[in-house]
Amino acid sequence: MFDLIIIGGGPAGVAAGVYAARKKMKTLLIAGELAGQSVVSADIHNWIGEPSISGLDLTEKLEKHLRSYEGRGLDIKLDWVKSVSKLGPIFEVKTPTETFQTKTILLASGSKRKRLGVKGEDEFDGKGVAWCSICDAPLFADVPVAIVGGGNVALEAVLDLEKYASKVYLLVRGNVIKGDPITQDKISKLSKVEMIYSSVVEEIYGKEMVTGLRYKIGTNSEIKELSLGGVFIEIGAVPNSDLVKDLVKLNFYNEIEIDHQTQASSLPGIWAAGDVSNCLYKQNNISAGDGIRAVLNIYDYLHR
Amino acid sequence: MRSVKIYSTPVCVYCKMAKKFFAENNIQYEEFNVQEDLKARKEMMDKSHQLGVPVVDIDGEIFVGFDRGGFAKALGIK
Repeated sequence: MFDLIIIGGGPAGVAAGVYAARKKMKTLLIAGELAGQSVVSADIHNWIGEPSISGLDLTEKLEKHLRSYEGRGLDIKLDWVKSVSKLGPIFEVKTPTETFQTKTILLASGSKRKRLGVKGEDEFDGKGVAWCSICDAPLFADVPVAIVGGGNVALEAVLDLEKYASKVYLLVRGNVIKGDPITQDKISKLSKVEMIYSSVVEEIYGKEMVTGLRYKIGTNSEIKELSLGGVFIEIGAVPNSDLVKDLVKLNFYNEIEIDHQTQASSLPGIWAAGDVSNCLYKQNNISAGDGIRAVLNIYDYLHR
Repeated sequence: MRSVKIYSTPVCVYCKMAKKFFAENNIQYEEFNVQEDLKARKEMMDKSHQLGVPVVDIDGEIFVGFDRGGFAKALGIK
């Protein structure tokens, strides 16, 4: 029987694991990978303590810190969680091959990429529709590409692709860009980049590979087209809360509703931290702090 | 002897994770940089029917992306 099972290996899960081990709670951390969504970031400038660090280097540092407690009260399993269920006063967590029992659970399972839901998105997935700009940007050398989105991740994709593509369109749904002004300034100086505001993607098309997309501006009914070699979709994320959707209260966006003083969910014994929760700002630093707040509250819960 | 091939780009994070996984498990592999090697890029697309890295070929079994569980199974790693 564990005191705590942490589900997730991003900044929230890792920070929680370190604190739980230091509190000598018998803890198991289960994650597909010890990595958060920022692992694919080329360069992170806002992780406090590091003026500039790549997502992969940050991930390796977090893993090293976590693993320094492995075997000292903390077990780590790289696997995916199949189910979470309540068994009287305790919980049962199942992976495809094992079953574990625990007094408490911290959900730090983050979020996954949101899809556009338009024609062609599935058909051309991997055939010009791409999800990892830093991985695949070099394969789009000398062709025009579009990035759909207006947040920080979309802006990073612009910077990744601008190095290779012949032209980069940024299709922003609203009339402003939500990403950090400092990155916007950088992008505004790039002659290859063209912003298209108030744009709504209608369809991605092609033959064997993507050849273009159709979009509308605002509520205009006129359909416009772009000839493209690739489309990168960076429109945000949906929380990985399916595991506990029948156990705890979720909000409209399927984020786990938490008490923001303690990270506790609506069901005693389950806490949530990071992007899977309804915290207002999805940030690495905030996720780490929220994971810690959760563990400190779990410690109090187990010792009261 | 197993044949393990990885089709990658130099900056690709999941390629690095895959190579780290092979190194940790003492698996020898052959790497093709599809950013520059267009023949390898075509081979990768023929095998995986898509354009995205990494693509890993373990004795003819094709994986798109970093798939720790899939690699482990194909390589007989516990």
